[in-house]
This record gives sequence, C-alpha cells and structure tokens, in this order.
Amino acid sequence: MLADFLQNTLDGLSAGASYALLALGFTLIFGVLRRANLSFGPSIMFGAYCATWAHVNFGASLLLLALITVSGAVLAGAYVERLCFAPHRGGSAIAAMVASFALWMQFEELATLVMPRHLYAFPMLYEGDPLSLGPLTLRVDTLAMLAAALAACALLWWTLYRTRFGLAVRALIEQPAAAALAGINVPWVFMRVFALASALGGIAGYLVVATHGQITPMLGMWATLKGLLAMMLGGLGSLPGAVIGGLALGLIEAHTQWYLGPQLRDLVAYLLLFVLLAARVPWMTTRSAS
Amino acid sequence: MNFLSVQDIVTAYGKIEALRGVSLEVAEGAITCLLGPNGAGKTTLMLTLAGILRPKRGSIRFAGEEIAGRAPHAIVARGVALVPENRLVFPAMTVAENLQAGAYHRRDKATVRSDMEGMFARFPRLKERAAQQAGTLSGGEQQMLAVARALMSRPKLLLMDEPSLGLAPLVVEEIFRIVAELHRDGTTIFLVEQNAHMALKVAQHFYLMEQGRVTFSGDPGSLAEDEVIQRAYLGSVQR
Repeated sequence: MLADFLQNTLDGLSAGASYALLALGFTLIFGVLRRANLSFGPSIMFGAYCATWAHVNFGASLLLLALITVSGAVLAGAYVERLCFAPHRGGSAIAAMVASFALWMQFEELATLVMPRHLYAFPMLYEGDPLSLGPLTLRVDTLAMLAAALAACALLWWTLYRTRFGLAVRALIEQPAAAALAGINVPWVFMRVFALASALGGIAGYLVVATHGQITPMLGMWATLKGLLAMMLGGLGSLPGAVIGGLALGLIEAHTQWYLGPQLRDLVAYLLLFVLLAARVPWMTTRSAS
Repeated sequence: MNFLSVQDIVTAYGKIEALRGVSLEVAEGAITCLLGPNGAGKTTLMLTLAGILRPKRGSIRFAGEEIAGRAPHAIVARGVALVPENRLVFPAMTVAENLQAGAYHRRDKATVRSDMEGMFARFPRLKERAAQQAGTLSGGEQQMLAVARALMSRPKLLLMDEPSLGLAPLVVEEIFRIVAELHRDGTTIFLVEQNAHMALKVAQHFYLMEQGRVTFSGDPGSLAEDEVIQRAYLGSVQR
C-alpha cells in the first residue's frame, strides 16, 4: 500500500516537473503580455518534429536532438511573437489569441505534411533496466526528467532574480507603463521573454517525447492543455504558482490513474480546476507574478 | 535657453483629440509648472513627452534633438525622465530593486551604486526600507521612491505629474522641499500640479492649460494668485 503510494507520488512528481516547465513558459508570456499564447504547445511540437526529422534522416545523437528541439521551439516562438503578439501589443487580447490559434493549425498542418505518419519513434533517453530501491522501481529517464526540470526551474529563478534581464521582466509583469518609463526597452524584452518561455517549453517537450519514445502531432495540443491547466491550478500569472500547479497536476494524475483508473485521469484535474474556480480561492484571483 | 521646446503637439485617443496643438518652452535649470483643471490634457502631455503616447503631429525638441514619437526607453536614454501620476512603483519588488530598475539603461555599475547611496542620503526613509517590498510603503514614501527611481536615470529634465496627489499636507510640503532642492542642484523640472498655491511658490514660470490648449503663460507674479487658482481649477470658460 505505502509502496504503491510512494511509487505514484514519484511518478507524479516526474510528470509534474515537465508540466511545471510548461506552466512556467505560459506564465512568463501571460505575465508579461497579459495574453494567452495558444500556439505555445504547437511551437514545442514544431521543435520536437524538427528533431524527429533529423533523427529519421540523419540519425542525430541524443544531445543534438535536445538542442534541435529547443532551438526549433525558440524559432517557432519568435515566429508566433512577430506574427500574433507584436502587432497587437497595445490592442486586442482576443485578436492575439485567435491569431495564435491560427498558427497552431499552421504548425500541425506543416508537421503532418512533412511527416505524414501518425506516429514516429523518438530515441529514448535511457533504454536500460530500471533501478530497484526496495519495493520501488525507479526509471532512470524519469529521474533524469525530474532532475532536468528542477535544474531548469533553478536556472529560471536565477535569471529572474539575479540578472538585469530578470529585473526588466519582473518590472514589466508588475507595472508595464512604469517599466517603459524606467528606460526598459519593452519590445526587446518581450522578444526575449518569448524566446525564454519557448526554450523552457522545448526542454519540457524534449523530456516528454524522449521518455515516451514516440511523438505524434497531438504533442502540441497536449502541451498547451497541460501548461494552461497547470498555470491555472497554480493561480494565473504567478511563477511559484506555476511550479506548484505543475507538480500538483502530475500528482493528481498519477494517483487518480492508480486508485480510480485511467479513464478518470484527466477528468479529476479538470474537476478540481472547476471547483477551485467556482469557489474563488484567493490565490487564483491574484495577478501579481513574483 | 530653451531646453525643451514643444511645437503644436496634437495627441488623440482614437478620434478624440486630448491635445489640440500645444506649444510651450521649458528653460534650462528652471522649474516650469503646468496648471489646469481636470481633463485639460496635462497628463496626456506628460505621457506624450515621455514617449508613452505617440503624437499625431507636432514637434518636441529636447536639447536640440527631435524626440517626438520616439520610444520611451530612447527618451529616457536622452535624459528625460517622468515621475508618473499615481507613482506606479513596482509593488512586489524591493525599494532597492525599484531604484535599480530606474537605472536600467545605465551600464556603469559603480556609479549606479554610488548614485543609489546618494538617493539613500537624500531620502533616508528609503534607506531604512531598502529591502522592503515597495507596495508596503506609505503613499508619501512611494512618491519619494518614484522620484528617486526617476533620478536614478540621471535625467537632465525631470517631468513630474501631480507628485502631491492624494498626500497629506505635511508630506506635500516635503515633496515640494525636495523639488526645490533638486532645482538648487541644477535639475531642470517640468511640473504638473493641482496644488497651484504650492506650485507657484517654487516655479519660475507657469503655463495654464484648458481643453487641450495652452491658454496662459507667465511668471508667478504676472497674474493674481486667486485668478490663477480659479482658472487652474475651474477653467476660464465656466465663469
């Protein structure tokens, strides 16, 4: 019993760590631009498909695949920013969101056009036997995913709280007009935030496909949904909230799957979000992001 | 010598023109004050000068260079800083981080640090609260912080939009004491104020603005204070 619980908790935390990265990417963009970027997941999918394409055609190495995924996601993110968000900076939030939905479709179409099969194999991060620790089985790749996600969170924290760029990002999240008046080059910071968020998403995307060993065009929708859900669970626009929301989502999914069955896995998380929104818990209505 | 020269500036929100051809001059080293009733366009003018709003037409020359329509960060880099209406400090950032943000465009770390010490000497209350979140400060302290943050960019021209707004009389006096001090130290100041009485005491020159236009320009002695105050609060049209 206890062993099952611990095993689920561990599995949940590893999945949750990648959700946390996705939520952090979403939160950065939402916090700085006050806009939801629906194309966030599809940008990641684009990066992962670039890597898959390189793997199928040239058999690139693991590290190279990770690099291609991240740079592909950053490139796609920059494209989304230029096309959807830069033109609507001071204007309509809805227009930007709808435009980002259009690009979502574009990325999916492009992916299925260039690589028409529904499913492609992706090289596994680790293919050896899992480690055993008493009654627990520890998959090496999920542990690596947990460690990499935590390292990325730490690096992000350092960037935001210890660098000049981080100061600008926080200023922009808190008080956009005053940030411009303080001499911060706002459009330039927007671009870099998009790149940073896409890179975080690219890392999460790579970890997820490399632990599952396969990729489909659904990765885009999957990443957008998980990221949005985790961000909302943790409270819109809060960076620590994004981490907590991501980990909580992972734990909820792992435990639900074990105790209530896989059919209810997604439902319980949505139900919880519904209850939290309906009850208007305090942290979900705060807008501060630090 | 005219430091800032505004010629026929028109700024509109959609189709509504808030500034309908404003022209004025700010002399180097002086305190110039802009008075006028609510809705006259004073804040719109300040936001246009700082680059937050883009004018439809007209010219803004600062130290001989055209700055109309430039991005806010480029204007700050040229030496024009605005202390915005309602202060707009960064609430979840510490007082020290607020000051660092004000020096964002400067790359000279050592002088930024010594300037920060200078701010702490000028505003001892900010020093006591350096590690505190700016949102926890009182209104007066936040105003000091907003002024100090703007000064951290080493402005040649300091624009101030209603620095006394919503503050207790004692705090207002302190703010004006600081304005006079900055003036003594050689900073050029262009001040928007509702408190005409205090503003006329420190200013060398003032403008009256009504309905998007400058309607009077003179020295504080050139018009009876009662008359100025009446026109500043009520406008001349309503009489």
